[in-house]
Amino acid sequence: MNLFDALSISGSALSAERQRSEIIAANMANAETTHTMAGGPYHRREVVFETPATSSFRLALAATRQMPGNVPGSVHISQVVDDPSPPVMRYQPGHPDADSQGYVAYPAINPAAEMVDLMGSVRAYQLNASAVAATKSMIQQSIDILKS
Amino acid sequence: MSSTGNGLGSVGNIGSTGSIGSLPQMFSKESGEGEQGFGSVLSNALAQVNQLSNSADQQAGSLLKGTGGDMSSVMIAVEKADVAFQLMMQVRNKIVSAYQDIEKLQF
Amino acid sequence: MTQPTPLLSTLETYLKLTNTRAQAISSNMANVDTPGYRTHDINFESELRRATAMAPMETADNTGTVHFAPVVREVPGLLERPDGNNVNLDREGLLLAESQLQYQLGVQLIKGQFHQILSAINGGN
Repeated sequence: MNLFDALSISGSALSAERQRSEIIAANMANAETTHTMAGGPYHRREVVFETPATSSFRLALAATRQMPGNVPGSVHISQVVDDPSPPVMRYQPGHPDADSQGYVAYPAINPAAEMVDLMGSVRAYQLNASAVAATKSMIQQSIDILKS
Repeated sequence: MSSTGNGLGSVGNIGSTGSIGSLPQMFSKESGEGEQGFGSVLSNALAQVNQLSNSADQQAGSLLKGTGGDMSSVMIAVEKADVAFQLMMQVRNKIVSAYQDIEKLQF
Repeated sequence: MTQPTPLLSTLETYLKLTNTRAQAISSNMANVDTPGYRTHDINFESELRRATAMAPMETADNTGTVHFAPVVREVPGLLERPDGNNVNLDREGLLLAESQLQYQLGVQLIKGQFHQILSAINGGN
């Protein structure tokens, strides 16, 4: 039950959202990548957010925190998964990556969907940044009690 | 300064009605006659101040170590200890000056 | 000196509750994109009433501080998105602004209380 805990919760969200936007940016940048080091087209990647499992939020808030990453209520990216959807095939016989039928496999990435995702990530980042500012102001106020 | 709704009364009047008026009562519960009364009043105040400042130190310590305790409670505890200390100093000053006044009496 | 004024102990609880609420809001905001996360909050008014009804004698030490653990529970009636998350950004943003101002109010009132007490103590000289 500490304002510093609130800071680390918001901090974890900022970090997680930033990583998410990096993944989305990579998706958008590689929307047309037909050939990767591992062979085959680029696979769209997604992040999965997770909050530490707690049996009861009230008990969790009352418990002392052990490690910064384990503050109840914080968020972290538990896994980055490849999108299992099949690649989009386009008929381009002259393309160097064309297969025997002349089709090229393109990543199944919809730029518009990625853009909306990115906007969501940005909005969440802004929200948590303002939470950090609010918490900082409250800590400042507490210190103020002792002044004068 | 006008009086506030919680009954503190006008500023500078520590013996007024209201909850702050209970402070001298707290000190007077042990007072006997003359010197003896003053001595025990002071040692009571000292014990209270000690307790409050120990508690404040402990809370501030656990806030620094990060083992819980919230900022507002710690700040209030520290301020309470400080105010209690100032009260004790004022009481001590009054007692000492009263003692000196008695010493000056010539019979 | 354990309980200088009743207002002071009420203010202490007020700040503690605002603290807890701010932490719950931070948690909600942090998990706005976590699948299955439910919004948590405290019922501010009833917790404050419950705390002020508790006698200050129920303390571990003799310094008049009330040991009080507010109850944090899930907020019912919020719209749920397909991934199971029901955090409402507008609600959280509004409550955060409100909590910040509440905290400021509490701190100012507390400073006023201590100022009055100190003036009463030192005002004679």
